[in-house]
Amino acid sequence: MSNPATRVNPVVRPATGLIPSRVPGSGGGFFRSRAVQIIGLALIFVLGLALPYLGANSFTISLTSTILIAAILASSVNFLVGEGGMASLGHGAIAGAAAYGAGFASKQGWDVGMQVLLALGITLVVSFVYGILSMRTSGIYFLMVTLAVGMLIFGLASKYSTVTNGDTGIANIARPDFLGEYWQYYYFVFAMFVVATAILWLVTRSPFGASLRGIRDSESRMRSLGYSVPWYKVGAFMISGFIAGLAGLLAVWHTHFVSPTSAGVERSIFAIVMVILGGVGTLLGPLIGAAIVVLIENVLSSYVDRWQLVLGLVFILVILFLRAGVAGGIAKLVRRIRGRTTSPSGGGSPPPGVEPASNSNHTTARKETA
Amino acid sequence: MMSTKMSARGRWAAIAGLGVATALSLAACAPPGASTGEPTTAPTEDPGKATGTLKVGFLSPTSGNFAVAGQEMLDGWNLYWEENGNEVGGVTIETIAEDDAGNPETALTKAHKLVEQDGVDIIVGPLIASTASAVAQYTSGLGIPNLHPVAASNDMTQQNWNEFTVRTGSMAGTQSTYPGGVWAAEQGNKTAVTLCHDYSFGWESCAGFVQGFVDNGGEIVQQIWAPNTTTDWAGYASQVQAALASGVDMVFVATAGGAPGPGFLTAYLDAGGDLDPLLLNCCAADQGTLRAMGDRIIGLKSVSYWAEGRDAPATQEFVEATIAKLGIVPGAYIAGGYMTASLVAKVIEEQGLLVGSDLVDAITSFTFPDSIFGEVTWDDFNNTIMPVYIREVEKGADGLLYNVPIAEFPAVDQWLGKGAPADVRAIVPYDQTNQGL
Amino acid sequence: MFTPVFIGQQLLNGLSFGATLFLLASGLTLVFGLMRIVNMAHGAFYMLGGYLGIVVSALSGNLLVGLIAAIAVVGVLAFFVEFVLLRFVRGQELPEVLLTIGVSFVVADICLWIFGGDPQQLPAAVRPQGAFTIGDFTYPWYGVFIIGVAILVGVALVIVQAKTRVGAIVRAGVDDREMISAMGVNIRWVFTGMFIVGAALAAIAGTIGAGRTPILQGVQNEVLLYALVVIIIGGLGSIAGAAVGSIAIGLIDVFAKTWIPEFAYFTVFLPMALVLVIRPQGLFGKAA
Repeated sequence: MSNPATRVNPVVRPATGLIPSRVPGSGGGFFRSRAVQIIGLALIFVLGLALPYLGANSFTISLTSTILIAAILASSVNFLVGEGGMASLGHGAIAGAAAYGAGFASKQGWDVGMQVLLALGITLVVSFVYGILSMRTSGIYFLMVTLAVGMLIFGLASKYSTVTNGDTGIANIARPDFLGEYWQYYYFVFAMFVVATAILWLVTRSPFGASLRGIRDSESRMRSLGYSVPWYKVGAFMISGFIAGLAGLLAVWHTHFVSPTSAGVERSIFAIVMVILGGVGTLLGPLIGAAIVVLIENVLSSYVDRWQLVLGLVFILVILFLRAGVAGGIAKLVRRIRGRTTSPSGGGSPPPGVEPASNSNHTTARKETA
Repeated sequence: MMSTKMSARGRWAAIAGLGVATALSLAACAPPGASTGEPTTAPTEDPGKATGTLKVGFLSPTSGNFAVAGQEMLDGWNLYWEENGNEVGGVTIETIAEDDAGNPETALTKAHKLVEQDGVDIIVGPLIASTASAVAQYTSGLGIPNLHPVAASNDMTQQNWNEFTVRTGSMAGTQSTYPGGVWAAEQGNKTAVTLCHDYSFGWESCAGFVQGFVDNGGEIVQQIWAPNTTTDWAGYASQVQAALASGVDMVFVATAGGAPGPGFLTAYLDAGGDLDPLLLNCCAADQGTLRAMGDRIIGLKSVSYWAEGRDAPATQEFVEATIAKLGIVPGAYIAGGYMTASLVAKVIEEQGLLVGSDLVDAITSFTFPDSIFGEVTWDDFNNTIMPVYIREVEKGADGLLYNVPIAEFPAVDQWLGKGAPADVRAIVPYDQTNQGL
Repeated sequence: MFTPVFIGQQLLNGLSFGATLFLLASGLTLVFGLMRIVNMAHGAFYMLGGYLGIVVSALSGNLLVGLIAAIAVVGVLAFFVEFVLLRFVRGQELPEVLLTIGVSFVVADICLWIFGGDPQQLPAAVRPQGAFTIGDFTYPWYGVFIIGVAILVGVALVIVQAKTRVGAIVRAGVDDREMISAMGVNIRWVFTGMFIVGAALAAIAGTIGAGRTPILQGVQNEVLLYALVVIIIGGLGSIAGAAVGSIAIGLIDVFAKTWIPEFAYFTVFLPMALVLVIRPQGLFGKAA
């Protein structure tokens, strides 16, 4: 199973054993799959813009807004996981904290501008705290730290009832007037999704993004090269947190409501589920994953009582057989149709050279076919 | 390569910017079909009673932590229509049920679906306080009646009341526990300790008891607050016992329905506690608790608007029907659902098919003399006025456990007998420190 | 509030809570120590074990029968999860964690389907009843029973680890996995066995715990969170750490709820956050 592409490109050892993102310049297949991405992007773009004109009713539009907002949150997690190799179970809490910022401002009767300011401020502070607490950890410990901080935020939301109204939540949160109608808001959310994706994409292409990938692949190497690894991690968290905060603000403007469940661990788990379903590190993965989860949660549940079972099973199957997610799977399919037999990103089979501590597992894994 | 990369990035950024601009500019003009979702069924203008179909959207948590309560609420509603047929006076009642999983975001999405996609005329539910306020806000904005069979938050018929939201099968949080405090004081108790959940429902339930007790000469020695996710009640049971051992006369315990009731009672009884000094609220001593605890709690007293052991024909018929169809004695959740259905049926039978504010007006001006709860009327803020019972657990002739009334407070309203405040919207909500004293 | 009787009762409450936590956390920490897997389905195993223990002991009238049934079924499920599912993602931390999250969803929903949403407890008939009284002090026997079971299990685990060949293999495996397979031990079966043992411990915790707190939807996430806190504080892979962590969290939880109820929630998570920042491997854990 020796893979010429991977031998040329040995950078396949992210700290958490994930499938790395599409590495640019990894061979001739790159441009072909690029075409797929471009076509996919264009299609979704046109479809998204035209949706209200295609006769979709307000419920469908509203649902699509929900999907887009979830996709923004998933993108923030996707960025951190794909580029930084840091899987976080705390992004739901960041979004929730931003939502509470806006909610608190609304509760006090301040105008929408204050909502934005407060949400932004809280997002920056919370992301910084997350970054500081987690910057010296990695892998499973990183996961646990983000989980712990997330639970602390959830606890604050639930207990600090003078500020947050406790478990009852804050209702009647006002949206900016010029976004009052559901279709106006839909276009705004759509625009925000494009902006968020663009920001993350630009960061990915920047030198900072390259350093981040270096840290993801080998922290010790980067440290020996003189990079101040912990601070890069903090930076990555701030960027990712900012996008998560944006998602939180959009969510609270969508539903006019915030409660501790918005900051709960379930939200963070769903975000990671969306990222994995869609494909880690891919551009459209978060959107696809968000669509799958939101549709199962909201549409399938009307027809099937056991929708949580379905979600769990889909999730398990994707992890087992479609490791690169739906987006990665589609790309692979396209490449296979075009006669490519090797995949540059090694999706689908465990990347060779996983952590040194598990070489025995490595030999076993090798026996399995892709 | 560097320069092409730079311009490639710049090109993509520019394209993204163009996309954003397009999207935002499209936001300026309305697409076709951008209706605001008005009710789809318009009553006929005939002088006689209107007929047709009343589409009901039923929201409740049938999955997640509150699955049992949510399912029971739905079962109660469905039971009425199964027993009596879903045609009343030429009007067909069609129910579309959705699961909100106890989550406000999901509840709102489902509410949107029911209204915008299924075109329902009214929404019944949901159950949990946070989901209820989110949905009530949405439906009132569209002029769609929102009936609440079980939700008990004060603010729904006080600070945040609106003309389309009606409480149909339960009481406000303080309303049902105030008589408990009155009764406890009348029984000669001078001092009391309260143990309530640490969120709005718990604060309100305790505040009701506290005011009733203090207004009649009692003194609250200590208030213990348990987080609403508590499953381990041993520590709280010990605190309660310590208080009783130090000479406090009685304990008032108010929790949400489901696990907390059996959880607390098991811990308390295991540690040697006695049933006598306990007074529980509706939900801590609901049928679910009775089924879980069994004969151990015969003699347990509680205060609630629902007493399944009440010796009235309407109640007994309902109880028998529930046992026959669902195999269990009905608790407050089934009762709430059934009550709401019977109310809707009675109103439509009298006045024909109504929607929107007409339906709400018809309900709130209705007097229901023989409902399963007793006589029910509504006040100016769309809240119920009905009896509250002090109940005791007894074993019925059929070997099952029932909450049987041992005292009755008729026509209890939500203002604790003090009349509505001048400005309802300025009411400060209860919390651990504000218990109305 | 500070009477010796009250303090004594709360002390025992904390210890019996800690005992349930230990039964739960020991399984989780062993699995992590050896296989580096954080089994997020551990809470679901607890829940399933609890439901099964309740139902079977109610039918048979015997707690031991219920316990065996719970262990058997959960063990088989664990075998399936480890042998069939986890092998695909061996060695990759995040996919392993996520897979177990998926399993947790599935098991939780199946439990809702089969056992319904009603909270359930061990029927009074099958569990040790009554309370013992020393002067003013009364405490239910069941609390003592839980502590007893936990001590028994803990001692058994320590003996197996310290005195048997299997234990030696596990200890060596925790220290250095490559060495073990280099020495000819079929590490695959050790892993599978350990995963089953961990799940069995969760099932025991569920059945025994069901006599004290009800089993219902949502309990799987709650107990999982507590177990994670315990093993992080105690150190991943260490039985002693799990014991110390469980006792600490049990006592902190009960006394915080008594004396500083507004902060009771945070008193459980703050130590965990602190440990992660200051000494991530936990009190007794080895450096990762």
